[in-house]
Amino acid sequence: MTQFLNYAVPGVPFGCVFALMAVGLVLTYKASGVFNLAFGAQAFVSALAYVSLDQDGWPRWASTVIAVLVIGPLVGVLLDRLLFRRIRTASPLVKLVPSLGLLVALPQLAIIIAGSEPSIPPPAIVGNAQRVYLHLGSVPLSGLELSISAATVVVVAGLVVLFRFTPVGLEMRAVVESPRMTELAGVNAGRVSAFAWILSSIMAALAGVLLSPLYSQLDPQNFTVLLVWGVAGAVIGRFASLPLALVGGLALGIAQQVVAGYMPAGVIANGLRPSLPFVVLLVFLPLVRQRQVDDPLSSCDPPSSASEAATAGFRSASTVATSGGAVHSVGVWHQRLEGLPGSRMTGILVRRPTATFAWVVGGLAILSALTWVPPDWLLTMNQGVAFAIIFLSLTLLTGMTGQISLCQATFAGLGGFMAGQLANHFGLPIVLGMVAGGLLAAGLGVLVAIPTLRLAGLPLALATLAFALLADNILFPNSWIGNGAGGITVPRPSAGPVSFAAAKPFFLLSLVILGVCAGVVKLVGDGTMGRYLSAVRGSELAANAVGIDVYRLRVLVFALSAALAGVGGALFGSLEGSLSANDFGYQISAVLLVVVAIVGLGSIAGAVVAGVVYTTLQVAVTSLPSRFAGLVAVLFGLATLSYTRHPEGFLDFLSGRVQTAIADRRSHRLGDGPAEHGPVDGGVGERPAAAPDPVIGGAG
Amino acid sequence: MTATAGDRATVEAVGEGQPLLELRDVGASYGPYEALFGVSLTVRAGRALALVGANGAGKSTVARVVSGLVPTTRGTIRFDGRDITGRPAYEIARMGLSQLTEGRSVFASLTVEENLTLSFRRALGRRGVPDALARAYAAFPRLGERRTQSAGTLSGGEQRMLALARVLVLKQRLLVVDELSFGLAPVVVDEVYTALERVLASGTSLLLIEQHVDRALVLADDVAVLSKGRVVYDGPVAGVEGRLGDLVLGRPDPGEG
Repeated sequence: MTQFLNYAVPGVPFGCVFALMAVGLVLTYKASGVFNLAFGAQAFVSALAYVSLDQDGWPRWASTVIAVLVIGPLVGVLLDRLLFRRIRTASPLVKLVPSLGLLVALPQLAIIIAGSEPSIPPPAIVGNAQRVYLHLGSVPLSGLELSISAATVVVVAGLVVLFRFTPVGLEMRAVVESPRMTELAGVNAGRVSAFAWILSSIMAALAGVLLSPLYSQLDPQNFTVLLVWGVAGAVIGRFASLPLALVGGLALGIAQQVVAGYMPAGVIANGLRPSLPFVVLLVFLPLVRQRQVDDPLSSCDPPSSASEAATAGFRSASTVATSGGAVHSVGVWHQRLEGLPGSRMTGILVRRPTATFAWVVGGLAILSALTWVPPDWLLTMNQGVAFAIIFLSLTLLTGMTGQISLCQATFAGLGGFMAGQLANHFGLPIVLGMVAGGLLAAGLGVLVAIPTLRLAGLPLALATLAFALLADNILFPNSWIGNGAGGITVPRPSAGPVSFAAAKPFFLLSLVILGVCAGVVKLVGDGTMGRYLSAVRGSELAANAVGIDVYRLRVLVFALSAALAGVGGALFGSLEGSLSANDFGYQISAVLLVVVAIVGLGSIAGAVVAGVVYTTLQVAVTSLPSRFAGLVAVLFGLATLSYTRHPEGFLDFLSGRVQTAIADRRSHRLGDGPAEHGPVDGGVGERPAAAPDPVIGGAG
Repeated sequence: MTATAGDRATVEAVGEGQPLLELRDVGASYGPYEALFGVSLTVRAGRALALVGANGAGKSTVARVVSGLVPTTRGTIRFDGRDITGRPAYEIARMGLSQLTEGRSVFASLTVEENLTLSFRRALGRRGVPDALARAYAAFPRLGERRTQSAGTLSGGEQRMLALARVLVLKQRLLVVDELSFGLAPVVVDEVYTALERVLASGTSLLLIEQHVDRALVLADDVAVLSKGRVVYDGPVAGVEGRLGDLVLGRPDPGEG
């Protein structure tokens, strides 16, 4: 018992912080319908403010008040106003991408503003962090543990009073059930949900400030891990129950210390602790219902269009299976419009220029790479090609199928490690190694897909995130896989007398591999499977109803997508000559999804451009002072703000604009007057929104 | 709270029989899907207007546009002498316009008393709540028996009573009822309609949306027929006798060329 207490008591402060995160997450999710992954970043920003103020000599109470009660709510209200309020009813992907972008961008932005990451351990908000004030049995309780526990108790008590006994508490509970019905009762629901945002932001800020002394220095990564624990707590609370989320967070904090205490040291034991959230997510996510009580007025919302708009490029196939049996009235409408004789002609005429332009630019880029471009530029371009393949895996999975994965980097890393290990230990040619890496990643994809078959949208994203975290901690550190931070070497390929070790031949080989992968994606997209995938994206239920084996399809597409990522990762490793776990950590997966979503998930071109832009920008910032190291993350994070307005992606938006302009001019010349801006004349960016899920939504 | 917050004493109340709610050429859409194409109709103070029409004609959308839940794309809405087009739903509600939504129109997760308190506190202030609760329970004794029960556990009829109690106690200017009989047993519908008559008798005007046309016409003074997002008849019930079915179903009117 004493030994248990020895392990459990140090877990209490962690548990308190996890609980605060979990409760805050559930609170915003219920009151505003957004699962705010930027929560971890908000915690970091406040922690950074607290530590910075403390180091500048401010009294500790003042630093705490400013960080928790001023900066925390300020960030939260800004996020709500600028972003989350506008995407309340958007599709899961459109909700997720900005919060992921902000999760990565906000800490970097804060670091740029603050100047540097403070390296001195921050103090506890009250008392001396290290001093033992009293004993529980024989277990000593330090000032840090006491202050964290006390602060949590105060906050929780305050919440209980607020919800049970105050008017705004009653209004918040009403808003949680139905914002619209609350408005009908004469209550300004927007103001109530803003209040909930302030409240939850304070909790994030407090969690960040309380947690900061537990680490020797402030590192945004620790706060992402904190977020994942908070998410696990929220999942235990089924995204709905504040008390359950509280208990869940607390229990997780204690459990992780107890597990670490009783297990013998080693990779498994070290890995088991960080992988607890994954286990929790897998067990509890299937129990989560999206909403506890249905909002009877949810049909007031215009049908969510983003899942389709994000993938406008694949639309040609999208009206097939779901519109079978005329369930998709819009699909029918859309086909009719496209069937008009005049519009088809303009469509072809209009589409050609942008496609031609893209091919010319691509050709020129390749030609330049092989002739005059300096070696370091060529390396960057080659990296872009490798990443383009990884991005293609998301084009397939998220763009075509609508499944959100936050573990693509894990698949890429695994593919790379496999290829390298096979080459190093068995002398397997690296090109075969890439295939093997792809196959292994595919196997892993199946392993991820099967337990998550019943999940979609946000829960699926969270489960894959937890899986990435698990792989980072259990798989990658092993010497026979990723060899931890040290990494492994991956050779350049050669085939008989032909060596691809030099930069230019390797670049050509990479292009060939990219071409093959793009061909696979195109075949899948244009073929029967692509039509099935579009149907599944439209509605899993409807797809099931027309006889598509949705589960089999999902496993298949997960495997294929993982294989693509694995090949890309192997190519990247071979290009770099070495690969380490840091290259494909779980946070990279989030960045990858954000980048390709912004550029465009709807086309192969989108993946290629995303690859080039991503690597080029990363090289570009290395020439800036070290303070700006996180600038790429900040740029993409801020770009997510515009993403919510143009979920079809930058590329489709741009080509849509160009095509509309051309069509305008052309019809002007023909004397028809300006062309109608809309779906008919190829305004890709302004395509009509898709029908709601014919089975689930659209009642009334 | 604000000037719009139902301080009715300062507003020149629209007299009996005068237009209380006026829709002029109102259009509305859900995203790209147009639902209303220029709807015009009038509810007169102290009277009941029945809005009838086939499935998908846009009846519920009219209700939502009136209460501010769905934005208009064109046209104007006037209520109680003021232009309420584009006003947020909570402001319109504070002006004395209530809506019973189709199906459930109470907060299932709140208790009966909390449901009532939510709107009473806003309209009457903290001190007015106990008295208002007492009046609500007096009007509907069954609600008093179930005051601590969560509203989701009430029967469909009791849920309608709960929503009507709120309207009755607050003496609202206009009540928009969307499918009051939806999902109720016939005997319960009778009960609920009796309660609705009390609401009308207390001076609250009614915009009655109902698929059970016969029920609605018993209570209504006027009737508006909606077909495919347009009003095809608006006038006294007497003027439509005998050809209502044809109008609702969109059959060509033999009387007109």
